[in-house]
Amino acid sequence: MNAAEELKQSFPESVTGVGLQTNKPLAVIKKEDLLMIAGKVKEMGFDNLSVVTGIDYVDHFEVIYNFFSYNNKQNLALKVILERENPAVDSLFSLYKVADWLERETYDLVGIRFSGHPNLVRILLPDGWEGHPLRKDYDMNKEQWVTIGEDGEDIVSTDGSGILRRK
Amino acid sequence: MWTGDGMNAYELIVSILYSIDVYDLLLDAFRSAGMEYALRVIIVLVELAVLFGFVLITVMFLTWMERKVVAMVQSRYGPMVTGPRGLLQPVMDGIKLIGKEDIIPAGADRWIFTLAPFVVFVAALLVFIPLPFGYSLIISDLKVGLLYIIAISAVSPVAILLAGWASNNKYSLMGAMRAVAQDISYTIPLALAAIAVVVFTGSLSTVDIVNAQSGTLFGIIPKWFIFITPLGFILFLIASIAEMGRIPFDFQESEQELVAGFFTEYSGMKFAMFFLAEYAHLFAVSGIVVTLFFGGWTGPVLGNIPVQITSLIYFLIKTYAVIFFAMWLRDTVPRVRIDQLLNLGWKIMVPLALLNLLFAGFVVTAGVI
Amino acid sequence: METEQLLLNMGPVHPSTHGVLRFKLRMDGEIIRDCQVVMGYLHRGTEKLGEMKTYLQFVPYTDRLDYIAAMPNNYAYVKAVEELAGIEVPERAEFIRVLCMELNRVVNHLVFLGSLLLDLGASTPIMYGFREREKALQLFEMLCGARMTFNYIKPGGVREDLPEGFIPKLNEFMKDMEKRVDDYEQLINGNEIFLLRMKNIGVISAEEAVNYGMTGPSLRGSGVKYDIRRLEPYSIYPDLDFKVCSYPEGDSYARYMVRIDEMRESLHILRQVADNMPPGKAATTQRYGIAPETGIPSSVMSYFPRIFTPPPGEVYSRIEAPKGELGFYVVSDGTTKPYRIKIRSPSFCNLVAIPSMIVGLKIPDLIAAFGTIDVVLGDVDR
Repeated sequence: MNAAEELKQSFPESVTGVGLQTNKPLAVIKKEDLLMIAGKVKEMGFDNLSVVTGIDYVDHFEVIYNFFSYNNKQNLALKVILERENPAVDSLFSLYKVADWLERETYDLVGIRFSGHPNLVRILLPDGWEGHPLRKDYDMNKEQWVTIGEDGEDIVSTDGSGILRRK
Repeated sequence: MWTGDGMNAYELIVSILYSIDVYDLLLDAFRSAGMEYALRVIIVLVELAVLFGFVLITVMFLTWMERKVVAMVQSRYGPMVTGPRGLLQPVMDGIKLIGKEDIIPAGADRWIFTLAPFVVFVAALLVFIPLPFGYSLIISDLKVGLLYIIAISAVSPVAILLAGWASNNKYSLMGAMRAVAQDISYTIPLALAAIAVVVFTGSLSTVDIVNAQSGTLFGIIPKWFIFITPLGFILFLIASIAEMGRIPFDFQESEQELVAGFFTEYSGMKFAMFFLAEYAHLFAVSGIVVTLFFGGWTGPVLGNIPVQITSLIYFLIKTYAVIFFAMWLRDTVPRVRIDQLLNLGWKIMVPLALLNLLFAGFVVTAGVI
Repeated sequence: METEQLLLNMGPVHPSTHGVLRFKLRMDGEIIRDCQVVMGYLHRGTEKLGEMKTYLQFVPYTDRLDYIAAMPNNYAYVKAVEELAGIEVPERAEFIRVLCMELNRVVNHLVFLGSLLLDLGASTPIMYGFREREKALQLFEMLCGARMTFNYIKPGGVREDLPEGFIPKLNEFMKDMEKRVDDYEQLINGNEIFLLRMKNIGVISAEEAVNYGMTGPSLRGSGVKYDIRRLEPYSIYPDLDFKVCSYPEGDSYARYMVRIDEMRESLHILRQVADNMPPGKAATTQRYGIAPETGIPSSVMSYFPRIFTPPPGEVYSRIEAPKGELGFYVVSDGTTKPYRIKIRSPSFCNLVAIPSMIVGLKIPDLIAAFGTIDVVLGDVDR
């Protein structure tokens, strides 16, 4: 019995499905129970949150958390499914500090809000950037320019005429 | 071995002119015009021009040497293209720096910003006044020569603070603050180690200090102060490297931490001034180390070559040995941290320097030397 | 006395941030009171680009992530695709891949060593490090014509077999390198100033390090004896003999020592691989999931098609890259292009711990601790 099935047994209500992520056990979690399940997962010995992946499936979003246990050499993936409008899920920052940046990155590029995150701002793109690039409906043809303002902060504008000297 | 007071460079020039029967003619000519003082002024100017030219050429050579030593340590060639083995590289660097745009940042204090490099450069030049390059080759044998040198060295941190403050840059300011903290904590062991030498000689005059080191100890080893107070020498060397601001103690610049420290905002000729001052300082401090601990220009007499020339050669050999050591050190060790440096200065070097002073006093009063 | 805290922007253009990283520091004199990391200056949208390229076309983009050690990047991505599509790889190809990756690990640690010491103010070690690195880069050049961005490992194998005379040259390099590692240890480890700067600086405990998501040598420097090559063996690593190097102190010096030891272990692995190189093909001869007739012939050099379609599914695959755990999350929707590629880069996650490591220390300590984390900005910003 793998870790995902164990979870299913202990929390039949919260775990809506189990399966495999190619070769790693995967459990689909109700988004309301993510924080509780993650706490349980941490107790089970999964001390490393490896990656947080946000995927835009056009009609819904998925956030996948990959855990690893250094002691038991086990893998576990948790998946939450979020609605298309205003995707939001609890932050795991209180359990895993690495979630700080991983969630910020997911917010930045996919646009998923993590409630309870202490500092949910963009990390790779400058503040003020329009859109979340890894969404499928991101407008690739819209040009955005970044300049450095008086106080050293980034300024994003959609009008590049004053920036580029080309005619 | 030559001892005795000798002359200074002014008297040397006069005696040379005299020996080729020109001085009297010149003197008569100027006297007939009623401008006897003009001759004196001209001779002094010639003397200073020679010093200035010598320092400039030395500094250029030192920049080349630094790059060659680094290259040797790092198993590469260094500059090879301009001139034989890249010897003309400093000239090209100079041309490049003169040709560069002289940028003054908008927020900078223009006057102080412009003034600071000159103050640094002049202070570095002034150190050479009581430095004996050889027998009679000294601009002025001041009775308080050593005190003068230590006093003048204290000017450059002031100028560095000016530069750092006027640049209106946080890195510059931090570099300048570090320079001042470092200088204050290292001038004290430096002075204390030098005073131990003064205890032996009983004179602050650099010429007297050199003269006191002629002769031998126990008939074999030269009577240099390095052999008499090795501890004093080590303290003085460490303190002077800190004073020069070279790796491992180059906090005022510390490229990897503060970008370029106090001269971050400088460019063109002003930057070149700092650069020249740094190497002039390196040469001067090495010369002082040689004067205090390696017997200055003393050395064996060689046949009938004028003593002024052989002594200059001895002085240069010893000085370049010290300079080579400083360069070698720079390429070998990492930089210590500023608080570690201050700890070393206050908690270890100052007590050791006092101990060394006690030792010197003991040796002198016991009449061992 | 009234004092004021100073806001210092270290970067994005600064000699020792290894690229375009920016630290927003709140300084109390020389002491750091608060540190914020600002990044993204090198963000190229690699993940978005991945959605617009075919599976094979994305391989060169992985080179540009961690350009100091690009071979493991190639491999990590290719491994994910192979797992997704269920591609069998010939044994010889796996040997060559491990050879490349371990050689690249040595290169990475040489650059680490040089740049760390340069950050500490010693200008010489970087020249020594780059002297040896040059020899390794020449080997890579021999192998695939490129020195840093290889595009060498591809699904199904490697792009070309080993060229003639490669193994003897590699043996020569290894013989030289083994002596050099001893040299470095002799020159650096005993240096009092180096020890003063490294010991007890940037300390992070094992639990903290795991919680902050640190991986690789930086985590092993905190005493966690983990290595994905051992815990989740891939390729031919189960058959190889090597030690997992770790030091319990958790300070900068421990992280540095781990890498020195790893260089030795990598050379040990290289020797085993070079001595036991099996004969055979360097790329798979089977054809997998070829896309409907495109008219494009598969490459003459190898047997793998340029365009192929893995079955729908998703995979998270990770390897032990020189800097830590490098993972690729690849989602396939059954077309010729990946639906989503997510890169879990070691540099990005190791950097999370930096603020907690250096608050209360000084700028020189920030540089020492940051140097031992060993990040590449191409890998952080992606």
